[in-house]
Amino acid sequence: MSNAPSPLWTTGHTEVFHTGTWRSITPEYRYRPSPCHQACPVGGSIATWIGQLRDGDVHAAWLTLTENNPFPAVAGRICHHPCEEACNRGEVDGAVSICKLERAVGDRALAEGWRYPEVPVTRAEKVAVIGGGPAGLSVAYQLRRRGYAVTLFESQPQLGGLLRYGIPPYRLADDVLDGEIARILDLGVEARTGVSVDAETFARLRGEYAVLYVATGARRSKRLPGLDYTQPWVCDSADYLARTNAGAVPEIGQRVVVVGGGSAALDVARTARRHGREVTVLALEDEAQLPAQREEVVEALEEGIRLRDGAMLKSVTVHDGGALTLHCTRVTFTRGEQRGQFSVLPVAGGEFDLDADCVVPSIGQDADLAPFGEQLDGSGNLLFVGSDFRTSADGVWAGGDVASMERFVTAAVGMGKLAALAIERELDPDAAAAAADEGTAVPRAANNTWYHAPRPRAQAPVRPAEARVDNFDEVQLALAAEQALAEAERCFSCGTCIYCDNCYYFCPDMAVTKQSDGYAIRTEYCKGCGLCVKECPTGSIEMRAGR
Amino acid sequence: MNANHTRMLLSGNHAVSWAARLARPQVIPVYPITPQSPIMEKLGDFSAQGQISADILTPESEHSAMAAAIAASLGGARVFTATASQGLMLMHELLHYASGARAPIVMFNVNRTIGSPWAFWPDQTDSVAQRDTGWIQLYSETPQESLDTTLQAYRFAEQVSLPVMICHDAFYVSHAMEPVEVPEQALVDGYLPAYAPTHMIEPGRGESFGYVIDQKTFNQTRRELDAAMAAALPAIEAADAEWQRLTGRGYGVVERYRMDDADRVLVTMGSMAGTARVAVDELRDAGERVGLLKVRLFRPFPVAAVRAALAGVGRVVVLDRNFAAGSGGMLFQEVKSALYGLNGSAPPVHGLLAGVGGVNVTPEKICQFLAGTDGAEPANHSVWVE
Amino acid sequence: MHKIDYEDQGLFHSGHAACPGCQESLALRTILNALGDNAVAVFPPSCGAVICGPHPYSSLTIPVFQTTLESAAASASGLKRALNQRGKSDATVVCFAGDGGTYDIGFQALSSAVERNEDILYVCFDNEGYMNTGAQKSSSTPLHASTASTPAGKQSKKKNMVEILAAHGIPYVATAATGYLHDLIAKVHKAKTIQGTRFLVVLVPCLDGWGLPDDAGVAVSRLAVESGVWPLYEVEDGTRYTLNKASRERPVNDYLEAQKRYRHLDEVRADEVQASVDQQWAQLLARVAGSGAQSAA
Repeated sequence: MSNAPSPLWTTGHTEVFHTGTWRSITPEYRYRPSPCHQACPVGGSIATWIGQLRDGDVHAAWLTLTENNPFPAVAGRICHHPCEEACNRGEVDGAVSICKLERAVGDRALAEGWRYPEVPVTRAEKVAVIGGGPAGLSVAYQLRRRGYAVTLFESQPQLGGLLRYGIPPYRLADDVLDGEIARILDLGVEARTGVSVDAETFARLRGEYAVLYVATGARRSKRLPGLDYTQPWVCDSADYLARTNAGAVPEIGQRVVVVGGGSAALDVARTARRHGREVTVLALEDEAQLPAQREEVVEALEEGIRLRDGAMLKSVTVHDGGALTLHCTRVTFTRGEQRGQFSVLPVAGGEFDLDADCVVPSIGQDADLAPFGEQLDGSGNLLFVGSDFRTSADGVWAGGDVASMERFVTAAVGMGKLAALAIERELDPDAAAAAADEGTAVPRAANNTWYHAPRPRAQAPVRPAEARVDNFDEVQLALAAEQALAEAERCFSCGTCIYCDNCYYFCPDMAVTKQSDGYAIRTEYCKGCGLCVKECPTGSIEMRAGR
Repeated sequence: MNANHTRMLLSGNHAVSWAARLARPQVIPVYPITPQSPIMEKLGDFSAQGQISADILTPESEHSAMAAAIAASLGGARVFTATASQGLMLMHELLHYASGARAPIVMFNVNRTIGSPWAFWPDQTDSVAQRDTGWIQLYSETPQESLDTTLQAYRFAEQVSLPVMICHDAFYVSHAMEPVEVPEQALVDGYLPAYAPTHMIEPGRGESFGYVIDQKTFNQTRRELDAAMAAALPAIEAADAEWQRLTGRGYGVVERYRMDDADRVLVTMGSMAGTARVAVDELRDAGERVGLLKVRLFRPFPVAAVRAALAGVGRVVVLDRNFAAGSGGMLFQEVKSALYGLNGSAPPVHGLLAGVGGVNVTPEKICQFLAGTDGAEPANHSVWVE
Repeated sequence: MHKIDYEDQGLFHSGHAACPGCQESLALRTILNALGDNAVAVFPPSCGAVICGPHPYSSLTIPVFQTTLESAAASASGLKRALNQRGKSDATVVCFAGDGGTYDIGFQALSSAVERNEDILYVCFDNEGYMNTGAQKSSSTPLHASTASTPAGKQSKKKNMVEILAAHGIPYVATAATGYLHDLIAKVHKAKTIQGTRFLVVLVPCLDGWGLPDDAGVAVSRLAVESGVWPLYEVEDGTRYTLNKASRERPVNDYLEAQKRYRHLDEVRADEVQASVDQQWAQLLARVAGSGAQSAA
């Protein structure tokens, strides 16, 4: 019968044409650091753990978080969260409430009693950590998890350092701190509290331990020049907070003027307010420049604390009966290049007086280097450390406030982590991961926001001001569970693939294939159009030049 | 006559409808046009009475009818359609598409003048103008021949994978009623096996049709089309011979009528062959050695048969009922071309434009036309006569 | 965000000849996979016909018949009838035509096929011009758009094909866009369940013809939808209207500014385009309200 000739009919499919030769640029799947991750002092893999939280696996989120930071519940309350400043969603409809999400994970872990897996001591080298604050606890935690035997020396009766003795419980409840510290100790970290390490002890410890980590903090208050600290109406702020937090409230007058604009100053002010005092904060900086976190300032003002910003104390007149007149002037404050550096210029005609019974200067703290002065190099306020937190002495590392002017709790935790990694690299190069250059963070334009429907940032409940001025209960409350889930869904997951399959479905050339661990590009067919990159909601694919 | 036949009084168009019914086409895309419409109307009647199972598709134009016909044919179905005149003109693009697709569609065309100006008279310009579209073309003289040729067409169309166009003249054949022997279905079924193409558009088959191809492949398709046309001629002759064996009726690709010893031969196509036949009889009765060569197959043009019939004849007179301005009658061109190279035995050929526009050409006129060529040098172009 | 989720059955093959980032090939891939393999396709000359080949290789697993430019609907009709006659009536016959082969030269055959209610799915890849031949205007080219044959901008409005087909009482007609693949898939699935003629017109921004970067097609199709230039809607039996995306959230200018074909527009003409879109949107809303159908969010 009829046989139409074959040249008219197709005989196969177009895979024989390798259209990949058309291409001059090529998509590449790459984990890229999120801006929050890069801004985070502990390098907290934020996009990853928020993704786990979003997927409903809170335990996995907690494990990811605690890879870098054993204090999610603490940091979720008091971290200055530079991650949120960096968040790519910030300019769209408000940064993701990362800090509150961290708290949600941390609180869940405490409520569930989650524990770290046990780790046997596998390393001969013993580690001593001097100072049980955030940096010391962080390094102890990281090294213990890596098989090292760690002993902590703490001069105070309890561990926690600044967390316990510097931050009032209305910001960080004791049970939260206790819970997260206990979990570290449960790993088998030996803690010797009430042990002050002086120069002699320090020298002895150097002989007993292969590694020493110095994290004694900055406990010595800076002195306000021209103020006579011997006067009964002057009360050092660190002293005030330490005594208060220990349950012994100092007897100062009714009208308290706190000098300073940092978190510590506001902690003093708000603590005094809770003891029924009339409190004024006198700060060199304008309100917008205050180094304290903005929400602390707002809450302080809500609580009835007066703020005299952009102002400086010049002198004090003491009246009969002990009442004070503080002679002040308005100033223009200019921040210097380095943290802690600044200049002030009095405003002409800006003089004013304040009535007071007591002055509490809170203008920062310095480290006490006396125990190490002979053995470690330093400069007055700080120990010298290299980029890997190694001091001038072999086997001695340092971090936290004793070695840095950063003065943030999470920064201290991060320094502890980095020091632990450096110590591991020194002692056990085979086990240690090389420090990798993560590259630049995902820029905002790399997130296709079409896939992220507008949704306002979650607002965590805050106890009303009138309900908080007479007690030390927590002011900031947690996000409700559904709120936390919704907030986790706001995360752009910058640089972290969420396996949404957009790259797969939007490829007109079937050049993207699904793999067990993600996706692959069939470069023999990819024409380099870039749709996969453009339609990626997370910025996990990039075009690179060349074939 | 024959137990396998029923004799019916049918118009040429209804004879075609009967042929289409017997051929069992599966899809019939068709659009009405005078004077074709009775063909589709009768098929509609057959369908309404459940006498055919073909799917009759009535689109908005002949163009769509042919588009549907091609697609249905490539979709593995046997296809029939019919048209005339302007309808065939509108199909022109798709006539090429059909032959390029090697779709064995059988189409009946009723020859009618093409506008402008408007007219409805018998004239073969519509179909002869499609001689280069790659369709096999045959011209029928009678309703019986139209029926028989339509049935034969399916046989060779499907053998060589080429579309076939059969033509008869408007009114003279299309509407004139004659007794027609209509064969029994069983006879036709034995003659036409079910259509079973090698290639087709079908779900699950990995072959597609009509893609853009390169120069060399295109060239190859035309060579194969040429070969198919060459193969068509013996297939057409064989189909006719088999039909003659079954029914007693055969027509040949050309018919030599009373040509033995003829020194003058009339050459024509379609209904005019019937008129010329009468003229020849009258002239023979008068003792003149005149014969008729009826050209039934126009594409592929039966060159060998025409040369064999006309070599050595004293004079050839071609009667064309078609006209192409600038080249004249197309049968005249074809015959001259076929005789090229006969040298000493080549007859002089006169081309007469007789009956263009449907004007009536009687046997007497044909005798006059023939006499008009006595002693005349043949012109190298067609000459108008009336 | 609607998750796109379908099993790619490999019905559209790599190595096809579409331009990088081509929206038509993206739509084709999506539709073919939503249709499945019990189907045959008809393509008139178009970008789609080029994407099919070149001979003897096909980018489609399902058989393709390429026909003439004006004949898609007629050819599909003939093919469907043939398959029915041969006992393959469960197979879908689908046309993939451009806007030239649909709004212009193929319109007559399409109108007739719809009138006959042929059991075919007709997909028009609407890139608003003769893009395969160098971007000349078609009757689908919108007001003021510049093309190779209307370099100063087209003076007349785009033909409203959906309304024309709705007026035929067609069982199903719907618009779609490549930025909304989940919607496109749902419409193909819905169309598959309906007997008779189904018409789907997919806006496929032409990167070259519209003046867009290779990676912008999806985004621009979304701008078209979000600005109301290309509403996503369905009409069933010519009367029941469903608006798939009930809101417009951007000015038409956002859409115009993304494309070089509107680069010549001054404020007056941009306003005219906006007014034209407003009028079309109002008419659509009235029809939706009049039909008692629901709008999806």
